[in-house]
Amino acid sequence: MAIEAAPAVDEVHGVARVAGRPHKDVVVWLDEVPGPPPAAPGRVVLDQRNLRFLPHVMAVRVGTRVEMPNNDRVFHNVFSFKDGKRFDLGLYPVGTSKIVDFDKPGLSRIFCNIHPTMAAYVIAVASTHIAVSDADGRFVLSDVPPGRYPYHAWRPGVETMSGTLTVAAGQPVEVGLP
Amino acid sequence: MIRGVVACGLACLAVALPAGAQSIAIEGTHSAGASSEELAAVGTQLRVFGDAGETLRGLRFQIEGSWGWRSEDEGDFFGAAYPYGGAVDLMEAYGEYVVEHRGWVRAVKGGRYRTPFGISAASDHAYIGFLRAPLIRYGEYYALSNMYLEQGADVVIGKPRLSVEGSVGAPGDVGEAIRRPGTTAVVRTQAVLGAWVLGASYIDTTPYMPARFASGRARFGGVDVRWMSDGVLARGEWLGGQPFEGTRTTGGYADLIVHRPAMGPVTAFGRAERLVYDAIPPFALSTHRYTAGARIRLWRTVALSTGVVYQGGQLTQHRRTAFDLGLSGSWRRNF
Repeated sequence: MAIEAAPAVDEVHGVARVAGRPHKDVVVWLDEVPGPPPAAPGRVVLDQRNLRFLPHVMAVRVGTRVEMPNNDRVFHNVFSFKDGKRFDLGLYPVGTSKIVDFDKPGLSRIFCNIHPTMAAYVIAVASTHIAVSDADGRFVLSDVPPGRYPYHAWRPGVETMSGTLTVAAGQPVEVGLP
Repeated sequence: MIRGVVACGLACLAVALPAGAQSIAIEGTHSAGASSEELAAVGTQLRVFGDAGETLRGLRFQIEGSWGWRSEDEGDFFGAAYPYGGAVDLMEAYGEYVVEHRGWVRAVKGGRYRTPFGISAASDHAYIGFLRAPLIRYGEYYALSNMYLEQGADVVIGKPRLSVEGSVGAPGDVGEAIRRPGTTAVVRTQAVLGAWVLGASYIDTTPYMPARFASGRARFGGVDVRWMSDGVLARGEWLGGQPFEGTRTTGGYADLIVHRPAMGPVTAFGRAERLVYDAIPPFALSTHRYTAGARIRLWRTVALSTGVVYQGGQLTQHRRTAFDLGLSGSWRRNF
């Protein structure tokens, strides 16, 4: 597993690869990053639209409150029962929203109890430096000064991988997963 | 003919929109089951749905086809939301434009869609776990059918917590109860009060029985309620009205659906229901049914549903108790 860092000293640009190819929905987070943490994102939303959760993979810091609005045309019943945060929001109608507080670390598998193809992952981590790769495998970690940091990477279907990342000015990083 | 034109029009619309701006999904559901009433059934549904993305924000569409086969016509096993007559049927095929402004929602839908009376969405009946439609929503029991479809226009105005819906069109039904040609009007209002969702509906339509047997119009009024908290959903509908002139049908059902996190992949459910069709003998019908069952999510989208049914009165089924079993799986591709 390897990560590449970008020219900006405090902003790490990277590419996540699976079997050598850029891969979407890889979560990468760092531990023990000095300095003040990046500002917490304002509004975190796991949307329900067209019988689908958006985004499919979400990574949040522990303690994040995630809004789960129903912007579809039918009722949904959002729940998570296995690991991570366990909840069942019950059936709620179009145009309304519910909030889940992801108050402990872990992976929550989110489903709708009515629509079997609806599934999403919310991973809550005890880190303030978290990123999820886009369709081209690219991700950005903000406010990371040069140095060596423990890092973790996860994607749906595999166990979390850990290692050490060296962030240096002008060096892009790359993360590889099986 | 009309069904084909509607489906083709919507398919063309989906293709004509700029590809990069669309969000289109294709979803398939396959199911098979058997009942101790010596019935077996298999079925599949294929649907294409999505929206126009940023190109025309608020425009959505859905096209759904269904095929189902049941070993016998007698009985209502496996007919919760889709027909099982051995033919390929076009179900819903509509375009919908939704505008949301300052908390107000206005939605206009045109095409072919399920009759918006009471608890009427396909997923409300097809995927909860019940393997049979409620008696008041099984076509041949002189009430309303879950396979009733409107071909027309539907408008929703209101806020998420209080809305009014109106539909005007012509029947486009599938399944065993096919309404005669004519016009249909449906009005529905829905309110959300905390954990409660309350609805009231009225329909004025044509009867599904032949004109030589059933004169006049079919008219029903109904109320529905849903309450949900901590993984427990209670819901029910009650309706009353005339399936045709000189007759009256009343009935309803109450469902309890429990899915607490500690239950893992298991959803437990139960239903109590009653239906009375008041007509001259020997056509009158008075019946009740109780159902208990569970839906177990086996692997990803694959689920097993079971149900034990106790039925009394004068149903077309011959057995007082029945055990139902169904297996279903779904897949989806996003574009």
